[in-house]
Amino acid sequence: MEVLNNLAGGFATALQANNLLFLIAGCLLGLIIGVLPGLGGTSGVAILLPISVHIASSNSPTTAIIFLAGIYWGALFGGVITSILFNIPGEPWAVALLFDGYPLAKRLGKPGVALSSSFLASWVGALFATILLTFLAKELADYAIRFGPAELFAVFVLSFATLIGLGAESPMKAVMMVGFGLLLAAIGFDTITGEPRLAFGQIGLLSGVGFVPVTIGLFGIGEIIASADERGVGYVEKIAARVGLKDVLESIRALGKRLGLVIANGVIGFFFGSLPGHGATAGSFLGYGLARQWSRNKENFGKGEISGIMAPQAAADASAVGSLVPMLSLGVPGSPTSAVMMAGLFIWGLQPGPLLFVDHPGFVWGLMASIYLGHLFTFVICLLAVPLLALIMRAPHGILTPFIVIISVIGAYSLNNEMKDVAVAIIFGIIGYWLRKMKYPLAPLVVALVLGDATERELRKALIGSQGDPSVFVTSPISAILIALAAVLLAWPLVSRALRRRAAPATSH
Amino acid sequence: MRPYEAATAAIFVLIAAVAMFDTRSGALPTSAAGLPGGLRGGWYPFWSAFVIAAAGIAVLFRALRAPAAAEGVFKDRGAVFDLAKFVIPMALTAYLMSDKLLGFYLASAAYVAYYAAFVARYRWYWSLAAALAIPLVVFLIFEVGFKALLPKSFLYPDLPF
Repeated sequence: MEVLNNLAGGFATALQANNLLFLIAGCLLGLIIGVLPGLGGTSGVAILLPISVHIASSNSPTTAIIFLAGIYWGALFGGVITSILFNIPGEPWAVALLFDGYPLAKRLGKPGVALSSSFLASWVGALFATILLTFLAKELADYAIRFGPAELFAVFVLSFATLIGLGAESPMKAVMMVGFGLLLAAIGFDTITGEPRLAFGQIGLLSGVGFVPVTIGLFGIGEIIASADERGVGYVEKIAARVGLKDVLESIRALGKRLGLVIANGVIGFFFGSLPGHGATAGSFLGYGLARQWSRNKENFGKGEISGIMAPQAAADASAVGSLVPMLSLGVPGSPTSAVMMAGLFIWGLQPGPLLFVDHPGFVWGLMASIYLGHLFTFVICLLAVPLLALIMRAPHGILTPFIVIISVIGAYSLNNEMKDVAVAIIFGIIGYWLRKMKYPLAPLVVALVLGDATERELRKALIGSQGDPSVFVTSPISAILIALAAVLLAWPLVSRALRRRAAPATSH
Repeated sequence: MRPYEAATAAIFVLIAAVAMFDTRSGALPTSAAGLPGGLRGGWYPFWSAFVIAAAGIAVLFRALRAPAAAEGVFKDRGAVFDLAKFVIPMALTAYLMSDKLLGFYLASAAYVAYYAAFVARYRWYWSLAAALAIPLVVFLIFEVGFKALLPKSFLYPDLPF
């Protein structure tokens, strides 16, 4: 009952005219960003983060987070359009949509059904995930509020371990990226002893490396360099489409037959998304795999099977919602996009984590209510405006590319009005491009950079409390369990490789 | 061997080595009086760098032993040149945007004109139109809408940009 009362208060906040306006603006911008080649939710949120500072100061941090979250939801829906109509995934998680979305649109000539069933699954999946978020985030926060420094440090270690142990193509590269993020976060004065670190006599480095210019560089400029590198590789075939009432009705009927699958994928996506660092990509692939596994028509997959569209889309959107759980309850980002949103919270003067529910309930519940509204708005806009959104994809590169570069530069500059930050963004743009090319995962780098200071702070606080005795991390049961879990996750890539090696000779006989 | 992968890992190992050298005095916990928790400021960055170095050596070793990839990192030399045509002007523009040089608006206009005319190969009048329109749109959104002050050129305050 208390949750419902809080949520009602959240709706009252989210429905205020300015919040509603920025929510719709965020959703529209997110849709445009999601459709644009070379940009995704993370880069969109990173580039527009400095604007959110102006929004937070002229309105409130609640308006700013509603705006950023709107971009996230909009980009998730926008990526659908490029995948289905152009066979180009706007974001990595949209790759799973290519398998059946494009064939349904092209081979079977049903682009409207492909789009509307995807939007519908996205909305339903997100709706269930948001209900779970509403009821579980507060519970988790109430539990986490009792955590001391040792437990919090263990939570951070576990989040790094999940980034390394689960899903990373090369765990060693993920380890390097975590270390690099922690190292970057450590540049500047040590907040406890006041010693300068890694400044090499440069005054500019004493204030540290800001995560906003780094993320704008890695995700905004890095993406645009990568897309400039890949451009012209293939011919882009587009399919004209609009979503008619007939398509929506057919999709609703299809959803009716697959409601269990969509809800199950929404729930699974939500829990998968709430693991730090994973977000929508892993969720969408998992959703596709499960749909195929559970289907009685496996042979239809890859040929335009609606389950192959609905399942990954429901899981992807639910994962994105799930990624807010650790951010709100523990102060740990669940995805690269929520890492950037979390950076926003720091800049607006808020401390992400369980105390948010106590100190800023209006902020948390306003955000939650805006998730319900944001998905509904985006869903309706998508149904009405597909032809217009598809036109964006045809915007000329010659104008779009320099425009995105200029917006990224403004984003990096306007936070502190310093050209140093622009230089950092450009340098990390080039680094981000190269790391992508060399297949280094960027999510561990960003998460470690955002969490680096907090991880060190909690580690040192725990050691100060125990007078330097490191056993404090294993004498607390919660901390011990979390660190043991982290150790298992870190060892998992080695164990699974050993198991595969043992299985290989056995199967070859 | 995969030379680009090996070189990338080696650069990370080098960065880690420099960071470890810089923070070596804090590498080990100490029982010195007055030091909170027994850790100096260098402890955390030293061991973060150690993690990079250890994993970096493993990646480097694997890159040296792995057979060369079937596809190169770049398609051909032309691809590297195309990339340079994109990245170098972008970095130069960022430098020229500084206060009292070209400032944000003139540098942006020059960059858009360059990109439209020489990379995208638009006709000169479309390039000129884009070079005027984009800075104007940016001015209206950021300077007028969000009251964000962007760097001005050496012509300021004689001209508004």
